[in-house]
Amino acid sequence: MASGTREIDRAEAFACGDDLVAVELADTRVCQALADQLRETGDWIECVAGIASCVAQFDSATISLDEARERLKSAIGQVRVTDDEVAVLVEVPVCYCGVCGADLDDVCEKLGLSRDVFIEMHTGREYRIDMLGFTPGFAFVGGLDAALNVPRRTEPRVRLESGSIGIAGGRTGIYTLAGPGGWPLVGRTPATLFDPSAAEPFQLRAGMRVRFVPISHEEFATRVPG
Amino acid sequence: MRIRVIKPGLQTTVQAGPRRGMRHLGVPASGAADPLSLALANRLVGNTLLSPALETTLTGVSMRFEGDGFVAITGASAKVRLNGERVKRHRTLAVSAGDELEVGSAKAGARNYVAFAGGVAIDDILGSASTYLPAGFGGYEGRALQAGDVIATRQVDTVPQLIKTPGEFRPRAATSWALRACNGAEIDLLDRQSKFDLFDTNFTIGHRADRMGLQFEGASFKVASGGQLDSAPVFPGTIQCPEDGKPFLLSIDAQTIGGYPRVAQIARTDRHLIGQLRPGDHVRLLWRDEQSAAEELRAKHDYWRQWLPDVAQLI
Repeated sequence: MASGTREIDRAEAFACGDDLVAVELADTRVCQALADQLRETGDWIECVAGIASCVAQFDSATISLDEARERLKSAIGQVRVTDDEVAVLVEVPVCYCGVCGADLDDVCEKLGLSRDVFIEMHTGREYRIDMLGFTPGFAFVGGLDAALNVPRRTEPRVRLESGSIGIAGGRTGIYTLAGPGGWPLVGRTPATLFDPSAAEPFQLRAGMRVRFVPISHEEFATRVPG
Repeated sequence: MRIRVIKPGLQTTVQAGPRRGMRHLGVPASGAADPLSLALANRLVGNTLLSPALETTLTGVSMRFEGDGFVAITGASAKVRLNGERVKRHRTLAVSAGDELEVGSAKAGARNYVAFAGGVAIDDILGSASTYLPAGFGGYEGRALQAGDVIATRQVDTVPQLIKTPGEFRPRAATSWALRACNGAEIDLLDRQSKFDLFDTNFTIGHRADRMGLQFEGASFKVASGGQLDSAPVFPGTIQCPEDGKPFLLSIDAQTIGGYPRVAQIARTDRHLIGQLRPGDHVRLLWRDEQSAAEELRAKHDYWRQWLPDVAQLI
């Protein structure tokens, strides 16, 4: 491969470490489905999908790279993507006020939209969770209206509240935990979407359908925990 | 036995084994940054190798025992005192109620492990007792220990023998390290010279060095990503090279997904060493093809199995 170029769809399995094999596939849903199916076999230590790739970690003390590559290759041929129609639909209540969405007015100004129009556009469609990652439970929600594309903040926040909702690079991000973050914030949900001590810690999963439902700050205040 | 923290040091946390099989949910590994040293300490007090213990960072820790028990210290090179008297690392120490243990600052290496017979009594969260500080869960209330905190150990069924780690199984903390590494997924985004230099530079660990990751200084690389890579899975041991050209090595608490070019991956056999790197240390990457790295891993397992039968769980 020439330096600086890259095939978009490298559908062959390749090593990216002595115990890591990867495949590149343009469709995020195929990457997720592949990771899910690999995980079900119990043959792998970790199976993680990215936006356009899937990486599987194997036990290099007992499995050779060639064998791992073969297993991944044969799995690629059998991937079945679940139809969107049967994916679980989650409604996420969001308060789009200037306090919950500290960057909302900035974002609207950049996009040349009123706050109301922004909210209408953001809540007016159904999305799909591309992946969880970065931090526990952080959801990358795909399918943002192209007219709402803004870059990340040049200075990431050192701390934002759990439930914060940001947009950047064509996606909506749901910060399920308090912590640092660089996406411009447009709102916040009072819902607890990740609770490490709960029996089912993750309310969101890759592949789920998501709809954002606008709520008032009063309603937010009554529902937010703590 | 109960143990009261007197001086917590820079960052002392409860660490055990990693969280496994949860990276697709965004949950990082966590666990001992140097799992081999954790296991060596646990071995000396008769625990299973990944029982919860204390991990110190650069500075030490001091504590008072409120009961009788057994303790062992391994990891970075540091002075250890029991009631003011020098005692040795790498051996089982019997302690009594009222005794005070002081682990000094690390002179070489970054982290010490203090294991207690029975292990620290902490319930698992998401499959491990290990502390994950960025999200505040696991370990002792999801945070680093503070002065006055009291931790408890689990009941011990059998009294451990008083033993020492044999000399040939005591890793020596260094200030210069050679880490074996394989090509990363995007190594081809480096130009020819950079690719060569990556494995021919004496890097210095920068001040940004913690359980999330460590900055490499000493060389800058040209990456042809244009800042437009799709977010992709990363792992402990992944070396990313952002557009500023400065490589960054991910450690045990690293995020699960990253958007920077992955230029190299520390070989599994040497990943446990990442936990002992400290600012100012020198690091050289030794290139390995994947098959050779796997052979060297098996050889390392064969060696360590003589003292740690379950070594394949750690390295």
